[in-house]
Amino acid sequence: MQKRLIIFLVLLLTATVFAAGCSNQGQGPAGGDVVKIGWIGSLTGDTAVWGQSELNTLELLAGELNASGGLLGKKIHIVGYDTRGDATEAVNAVKRLVSQDKVVAIIGPNASSSAMAISGTLEEMKVPDIATVATNPKVTVMDGKVKPFNFRVCFIDPYQGAVAAGYAFDVLGFRKAAVLYDVADEYSQGLAEFFIKTFEEKGGQIVAKEAFKSGDTDFRPQLAKIKATNPEVIFMPYYFKEAALSAKQARDLGIKSVLMGGDGWPSDTLLEMAGDAVEGSYFVNHLDFDDPEVQDFKQRYNAKYGKMPELNGYLAHDAFMVLVDAVKRANSFDPVAIRDALETVDIEGITGKIKIGKDTHNPEGKEAAIIKIEGGKYKFQQKYAVTD
Amino acid sequence: MNQILQQLINGFSIGSVYALMAVGYSLVYSIMNFSNFAHGGVIMLGAYFGFFFITLFKMPFWVAFIGAGICSMLVAVLVERMAYKPLRARNAPFLYFMISAMGASMFIENFVIATIGPTFRTYPQIFPAEPFSLGGIYVGRLDMMMFLISAVSLIALVYFIECTKLGKAIQATAFNPRASALMGINTDSVILTVFGLGGFLAGIAGVLFGMKYTVYPQIGFITIKSFIAAVFGGLGSLPGAVIGSFILGIVETMVSGYIMSQYRDLISFSLLILILVFKPMGLMGKSVEDKA
Repeated sequence: MQKRLIIFLVLLLTATVFAAGCSNQGQGPAGGDVVKIGWIGSLTGDTAVWGQSELNTLELLAGELNASGGLLGKKIHIVGYDTRGDATEAVNAVKRLVSQDKVVAIIGPNASSSAMAISGTLEEMKVPDIATVATNPKVTVMDGKVKPFNFRVCFIDPYQGAVAAGYAFDVLGFRKAAVLYDVADEYSQGLAEFFIKTFEEKGGQIVAKEAFKSGDTDFRPQLAKIKATNPEVIFMPYYFKEAALSAKQARDLGIKSVLMGGDGWPSDTLLEMAGDAVEGSYFVNHLDFDDPEVQDFKQRYNAKYGKMPELNGYLAHDAFMVLVDAVKRANSFDPVAIRDALETVDIEGITGKIKIGKDTHNPEGKEAAIIKIEGGKYKFQQKYAVTD
Repeated sequence: MNQILQQLINGFSIGSVYALMAVGYSLVYSIMNFSNFAHGGVIMLGAYFGFFFITLFKMPFWVAFIGAGICSMLVAVLVERMAYKPLRARNAPFLYFMISAMGASMFIENFVIATIGPTFRTYPQIFPAEPFSLGGIYVGRLDMMMFLISAVSLIALVYFIECTKLGKAIQATAFNPRASALMGINTDSVILTVFGLGGFLAGIAGVLFGMKYTVYPQIGFITIKSFIAAVFGGLGSLPGAVIGSFILGIVETMVSGYIMSQYRDLISFSLLILILVFKPMGLMGKSVEDKA
């Protein structure tokens, strides 16, 4: 009985792996004139909508490129595999893409955990990967050493802190800032650290630096302390729930300072929970859907798929642009030659300028979108970058 | 000076939330001699009851408030009947009660995640958001409300326990369950009453907490703080639970406000250990006259 069950489970497992793997291949002609580019990401589960948006974008762009003569005289074919948001699945997908489909480069995944897991396999198989929205610093740099085959087109988490500080100092003209952050969260710590560093380098003064721990619900002791130092702006780099609570409590204590946050803020829940408390606040995001520079792509995507792309689609767009640029300059489809060319990419993407840093494999000094909350709505202000 | 007063007020307002929750713990502990970890789950359900009564059924606030208390009372009684009574019937060791309590608490939390979902929900604005300002010191309306409600319900509870027949029966059972049973007290219904009372307090605490900090399935975790407050004051003593809660609330705010917020839990927990070393029964420990 038990043996049967095991056999059944093994069969089931094989079947699902096979089915998942098969879902997106086998279209388009094969042969000497076709070059394959791999994509990995989630096509099932609760992040499926983001993965689908990336794959749609790549297929749209590949189709457009092929229609206008292809790349180096060859047609591009996109092969996409579902990772189901799972790191192990991502490693398998990479192995399969390289050994079976012979792709020359891979775009994706969107999850940092998967992007970190595939580094070893990429190095072993010598194929470059460009992650879309994997923002964890460790995706491309580990223990101070850059991972040779991992690249990305999004900026890393802590960089948002620097952007917020630069914008607060240079554009909004603030000189006294306070920081409240989550001491138990790497994302929050990174943002806080870079905010303080940049703000002080510019000549601003950090009048208070207070912390709380994930799960806390009451921030009034810290806020009362911050209030006494009378800052012009309070930087709150954490997720929307704590942001809403702390913003509300700050107003309860009569704090009138401007509040700022990172990409953990944007959500409908923030506006619903915090209401008036976040009115006039600013936050940093990867891009804004109202930015004029993304409108053209948005319309093309909408024309083909009948809906608007998600955030991931825009970054997948730029990942494709980066790859095309590298292939053209390498003048070759050799994966290692492409990798070398990726290190010197310097193009204008629709999500901002992408100049890959040789030592970080991140887009250095990439512009972020600054968004203000006005009249209970998100209003795009401008793109903004910090350069050293 | 202003800042000290402001921090004191913050501390009191945090303390009054802890108090309402800690009293429920202590009440059950005084009779059953074990920590009812399912209390946190009942508080969380109370917050959801209140939320749905107000948003879905459009009940006026006070009706929803009392309604949430009554529903939570029923849940607490149900938990007692299903999770603890079978153990009591078998005279199981107290450790089993604890395990059963944890099981009940996990069940409630996951039940809510599975049925209602893990997202945050916000109570509609019931009291005006504008805080009272007294010469630079700000007091939130909701905070004042919470303080008053806590005070009223705690006084009502003490009155019930000291001045009614059922209250006397509770005291007697707390003192010695066996002897009380021999004296003709139906200890089973006394225990049910205690769980019902604890459940009602948990329900209204849940609504107040939800109004202040939003509703989500993990709210119950906050009760770890009120549990500490209850130990602080002496488990099983109602005045102890209240005093312990206010001390904890004020110590927490003062540490965050004047030392460093990162050290808040470190210092308040060290204080707990110190108190337990020098006064193992807590500040107002379960000595004979304090049993309630």
